[in-house]
Amino acid sequence: MLINDYSKAVYNIALNFFADRDIAADVTQDIFLKVYHNIDKFKEERNFTAWLFTISRNYCIDYWRKNKKYFLSNQELDDKISAHDQTPEEHSVRESEVVELRKKIAQLEPELRVILILRDIQDLSYQEIAAKFSIPEGTVKSRINRARLKLAQSFAGVEQ
Amino acid sequence: MNSKCKEIESLLSAYLENELSPAESAHVARHLTDCPPCRELKEKLEEILLQLSDLQEEVPFFLKNRLYNIPEISEKKESGKFIYLPKWLAAAAGTIILFLNLFYFTNIFPSVNREMHAWVGSVESFVVQTGGWIEKIKESKDLLLFTFFNKKSEDNKDEKMNSDFNLNHVISKGGKNG
Repeated sequence: MLINDYSKAVYNIALNFFADRDIAADVTQDIFLKVYHNIDKFKEERNFTAWLFTISRNYCIDYWRKNKKYFLSNQELDDKISAHDQTPEEHSVRESEVVELRKKIAQLEPELRVILILRDIQDLSYQEIAAKFSIPEGTVKSRINRARLKLAQSFAGVEQ
Repeated sequence: MNSKCKEIESLLSAYLENELSPAESAHVARHLTDCPPCRELKEKLEEILLQLSDLQEEVPFFLKNRLYNIPEISEKKESGKFIYLPKWLAAAAGTIILFLNLFYFTNIFPSVNREMHAWVGSVESFVVQTGGWIEKIKESKDLLLFTFFNKKSEDNKDEKMNSDFNLNHVISKGGKNG
């Protein structure tokens, strides 16, 4: 039940955060292990998805910080999504676009990355994101705008 | 990039999502017609937003299997905690045990071998003595209980259950006492 309902959301946060399917799978498993061990700490009056998304966000950011050297040295990431990993959709025309876009997202600051993923990939509203992470809606909006601009500028090769 | 462009940049997301007031929206639109770099940025943003909405993927089958097995993985990890030793500690303990065996069972270093046998002998005699003391303490306790409270200790309660054994016990004690 829990896995059927939430694994896709968590996996897609990790996948688009790290731009690497193997790491995304490991991170997703670690997040669900964490949820399994801490489920007794979850208070029923709280929103479960907010709790789960907070765990996912914190875990992704911690994981990235712990392995920062590795990720920065692999900034190119060209070979990270190797041919055998790709889904049939990616073998189509937009294959290179998907890979390129994930690489660019993975280069954003971790906080911006998570919010961008939730808003533009997972299609959550500003209010939902603000409620999940207990931050003002205005902050979410400005971070989303900053993340999108950085992304667009990185494609245009423009330094902010 | 001038300050006007900076201002428009900060409004671009809201503009694309129709979240601006009509006046603000018209203001941004006017700037975009006059400023090619900002227009290009806006077009790039639109393109990226379309692509982003398409980045979701299904969870791979192998990962779903791993997730369904989390309770088992977790239990294995829990039970593994009791026997877990750091690698260096396990290696050091193994090496020490290996050398102790070597010294004890072979005569490569006769002096060490003698020392070890003497040490093991003293441990053995200590264990035997300690066993004797424990027996004596038990007997004293039984005697005290019997003398002052006229009852048998917990250990002896079981003996009541087995009359044959109790009989043999009495006989053997009687024999000893003459």
